[in-house]
Amino acid sequence: MDRSEMTGPVVQIRRRVQAGAEQIFDLWTKPELMVRWMSPFPGAVECKASCDLRPGGAFSLVMSTEGSIREVSGAYVLVDRPRKLVFTWIGPLTNNVNTLVTLELNPQGDETDLVLTHERLPTSAIFEGHTRGWGIILDHLAEAVSKDA
Amino acid sequence: MIETEARVEAASRAARLNAVFAALADPTRRAIIERLSHSEARVTEVAEPFDMSLNAVSKHIRVLEASGVVARRRRGRDHILSVNTHSLDEVDSWIDRTRRYWETRLDAMERLLRELKTDH
Repeated sequence: MDRSEMTGPVVQIRRRVQAGAEQIFDLWTKPELMVRWMSPFPGAVECKASCDLRPGGAFSLVMSTEGSIREVSGAYVLVDRPRKLVFTWIGPLTNNVNTLVTLELNPQGDETDLVLTHERLPTSAIFEGHTRGWGIILDHLAEAVSKDA
Repeated sequence: MIETEARVEAASRAARLNAVFAALADPTRRAIIERLSHSEARVTEVAEPFDMSLNAVSKHIRVLEASGVVARRRRGRDHILSVNTHSLDEVDSWIDRTRRYWETRLDAMERLLRELKTDH
């Protein structure tokens, strides 16, 4: 199914990565590894990450350098190690609007086909859900995602 | 004062972009935009190819107008619709920025994977 038919404009990137899916999944979900590649600031930077890796669990990435602090945060919608990870994402890149990131990892021998999809959440109700609490909103999202699979 | 104005401006830009994304998140509305990107057209001309009532199409057109993507003007008794390409530029630029951001992050991810490989 073409995701853009469902939700409108979507950014999708595919890469063949020279590593196994398990290891790539670790880089996306272990705080001590996340801090080593997720920060957009070059050079030495203080970066803290936290990860509650289960549906509804929160993650955050706080990156600080001289005179600047940036935070990205969100919650996991689907955790299917090592094949699929879906989470909401809100931060400076998204102008503090809630978005959805889907990471798909398809093993190809020693390598992995990585597909990253980033889309804005389609309804303002979901956007409001970010500040009010996750429960029902995440159920809807998880349901929508499982129909896709 | 200037800081507040910048915040308000950023908030309204985000709201506009949200409205445009919501407008685009429907295949009928995307088809309408596609039609109007060739040339402006009367409401009835735009509605004609769709297998739904004129009322139903008009609802979609109103969403598009509210988001600023489509503009309407009167020409005698006709209502003429046209697309505002500037509002779509904001979507294009969000797509570009987001793509660039992830390409850079994924480059860093791959560098770290190579580092971790050689650590063993």
